[in-house]
Amino acid sequence: MDVVVCLKQVVDPELPARDFAIDPRSRRQAREGRTLVISTYDEHALEVALRLKEQTGGKVTTLAVGPQAALGEAVRKALAMGADEALVVDEPRAPEWLGAEVAPVLAAAIRRIGPVDLVLAGCESADWVERVVAPLLAEALGAACVTFAARVEPADGGVLVRRMADDGVHHVAARLPAVVSVASDDANKPRLPKVKDIVAARRKPVTVVATADLEVDPAWRLPAPEVRGVTVPPRTGTCEMLGGEPAEQVEALVRRLRDLKLL
Amino acid sequence: MEVTWLRGAAVLALLAIAGVVAGRKLLVVYRVIRLGGGPVPLQSPGRALRELAVQVLGHRKVLRRPFAGLLHLCIFWGFLVLFSTIIQAFGEAFVPGWTLPVLGSRPWFALLQDVFIVIVLAGVAMALWLRLVVRPPRLARQDQAGALLILGLISGIMVTLVVSRAAAIRLDAPAWAAGAVVSGAVGGWLAGLPRPALHAVFEAAWWLHLGIVLYFLTWIPEGKHLHLLTLVPNVALRKARPRGALAPVDVEAADRLGASAATHFTWKDNLDAFACMECGRCVEVCPANVTGKELDPRRLHTDLRRQLVAAGGARRAGGDPQVAPRLVGEVFSEAFLWQCLTCGACVEECPADNDHIDKIVAMRRHLVMEEARAPDTMADALRSLEARGHPFRGAGIARTAWTAGLRVKALPDGERAEWLLWVGCAAALNERNHAPLRALVRLLQAAGTDVAILGDEETCTGDPARRMGNEYLFQIFARANVETLGRYGVTRIVTPCPHCYNTLAHEYPAFGGRYEVWHHTQLLDRLVAEGRLRPDRPVAETVTFHDPCYLGRHNGEYDAPRRVLAAIPGLGRVEMAQCRERGFCCGAGGGLYWMEDRVGERVSHVRTRHALATGAGVVATACPFCMLMLEDGAAATEARLRPHDVAELLARSVADGD
Repeated sequence: MDVVVCLKQVVDPELPARDFAIDPRSRRQAREGRTLVISTYDEHALEVALRLKEQTGGKVTTLAVGPQAALGEAVRKALAMGADEALVVDEPRAPEWLGAEVAPVLAAAIRRIGPVDLVLAGCESADWVERVVAPLLAEALGAACVTFAARVEPADGGVLVRRMADDGVHHVAARLPAVVSVASDDANKPRLPKVKDIVAARRKPVTVVATADLEVDPAWRLPAPEVRGVTVPPRTGTCEMLGGEPAEQVEALVRRLRDLKLL
Repeated sequence: MEVTWLRGAAVLALLAIAGVVAGRKLLVVYRVIRLGGGPVPLQSPGRALRELAVQVLGHRKVLRRPFAGLLHLCIFWGFLVLFSTIIQAFGEAFVPGWTLPVLGSRPWFALLQDVFIVIVLAGVAMALWLRLVVRPPRLARQDQAGALLILGLISGIMVTLVVSRAAAIRLDAPAWAAGAVVSGAVGGWLAGLPRPALHAVFEAAWWLHLGIVLYFLTWIPEGKHLHLLTLVPNVALRKARPRGALAPVDVEAADRLGASAATHFTWKDNLDAFACMECGRCVEVCPANVTGKELDPRRLHTDLRRQLVAAGGARRAGGDPQVAPRLVGEVFSEAFLWQCLTCGACVEECPADNDHIDKIVAMRRHLVMEEARAPDTMADALRSLEARGHPFRGAGIARTAWTAGLRVKALPDGERAEWLLWVGCAAALNERNHAPLRALVRLLQAAGTDVAILGDEETCTGDPARRMGNEYLFQIFARANVETLGRYGVTRIVTPCPHCYNTLAHEYPAFGGRYEVWHHTQLLDRLVAEGRLRPDRPVAETVTFHDPCYLGRHNGEYDAPRRVLAAIPGLGRVEMAQCRERGFCCGAGGGLYWMEDRVGERVSHVRTRHALATGAGVVATACPFCMLMLEDGAAATEARLRPHDVAELLARSVADGD
């Protein structure tokens, strides 16, 4: 089964709160000097792809859109984990794009890769959490779409997907080609790369194309939402000093905690 | 002088037979040891001699168990002294009544021999008492039948020796007889015997004596008894390197990373396996084993020995030396390998000077680098190290958050200082360790010590990755940090983290980084001694000091933190039963801070109980990892015990310190 995994590079979601900032010009998260990582669920999607490859053979290609220089680390990591090839769409504006803007470019890049059976992506990105890329991709590629997959198993000419839903677990059979968005599950915890694979990853093929070289069908372009403003919620803290003797302080404290329904 | 050639020839023939039997067994052992790789850097001959004197002749480690140590000392020294009687017995095969030149005829020498016969018999009696009556658990898994056989043979050698000496005294009244008081007394019991009967007694005892000696010889190359021969080279050929340093491997060039089969270790590791006498002292002090986990450090050597012998046999038969069961996963389960805290208690205790940590880490290297297998929480720590330069996933605070409100110079800001304060991730990224850090900086500033930090350019030293077996990742950190430190021209480093201390001081030199590294308690100790810090405010606490393994056992620093505590007026000190060399790990070493301690009791809780048992109100430590574990222990046991860093306590006593 030939699989393409879409990887988004984001600012480390575990960034110390102090370092989290909004760039006022772009109204996007400041990236300068921050640790960049593969978006959490995208790594789970890659793990699903690698397991499918182990079961059915085929090829795993990673696809990322962004500034080529910044993407190097993420691509090498994915190749070290076991992806066979990588396609990078060099696009300096991509860090500012939302899902509706990136999905048509991804679709064009997947067309360029050739016929693929399955496209996987994280169910949501760690920064914007829009959850739109997989459905938009499926629409553009004319493929089936299943979202929030915990597990994906190969089945007769298709895949069986166990998907997490508000009302429980859905078991969905999908024909190929399909686009599946992946949620985290014990069964798809991203693997550690073996050292020999890290070394071997340096020799795996990485193709770089510019957005301009892709044939993006105008019909795939949907109006993207306009971001009017982004703010970091202010952290407020008020400190109330309770006066008096220790016994009075204890009494006052208990009263205050009762008032706040904490006791 | 009458020479009994026939008798001499018969004895030599017997000696040759025993020699061939023992020699063949030894050759097998030698070939098996040589299955291992090299090169192994060895300590200098001078150090080797000193070690031999202290460790072998002096029984330094053996005597840590007073009863077992004393009995072994009796038998060991008895063997050395009474070797003279074995030579004499062989000499008598050719020349009846022959004794050693010069010494043999002296009564005082005969007295010495007689006294040691009694000492050896006393040692054997003590050994029997220990094995059959006391039965310590550590000996339960030892080869009891083999041990009893050896004790029996030793007793036999002694009894036949006394009887032959007694008969000789009665027969010939030799020059040495005056000194041989014990043999002489036994001779008294033979007083009524006619000469031919005395002669028969002598002959029987003498032949039996030589027979047992030769039979004993054939047993030496078997199992634990082999330590009689292997221990001396094993102690002399100790790996030359600081205790805490692990050996680097050329990750890019090696065809195989780590060890997954018995034949993947170094020849010195294999020699270790054959030097193990299965005394079980390592098991008794292992914090993982004591708290009910699977790890049994003795098995690292006994099971490796068994696997090596099987591999050697398979190779001689022309087969694949990678024999079943698999070393990693079957002989040693993954759980077993991941339970080691690398605390070094076993290494410290081992009378054979074996190194258990090397073997654990070699197998972890295989798991992590070849198979990419590690417990989930450790894998998360490794991933965090790669992405963020520190192993604390979800720390959520900045590396310099602790400096808020302090004026601390930072080298990346273009500042220069005499000392670099290497903060360490465990201190910087865990809020409980901020108070000790702040106390340390205020103390250093009060003493006029010029320090600066690396700020956001500091990363992990790579220690957790290395102990988890990810040598590849460790080396990336080592090279990057050596580059950073070089860029700022750093020469002197002070750090509150014993793990960083160990890595910076002992592991970075292999990567070209040579610095003068001080632990913060060592620097504080000096500042107090020089009068630059004056602890004059009393601190009314009773304190027990918990030795961090990487400060104490791995780096030999037990006294500096204790001297700092002793300098604080009003502070009472008590020691835990297990302290200093016998210190008990907090549960965080070896990368196990990042693993849930779910099997058996938690190591941190047991250590907290040790501290509680002293009646102290404060357990002091000098390591940010120990601090986190002891906090966990104190919280879980609802103890009124508060963990504090030595720096925090000192700051309370120094007027400018807070």
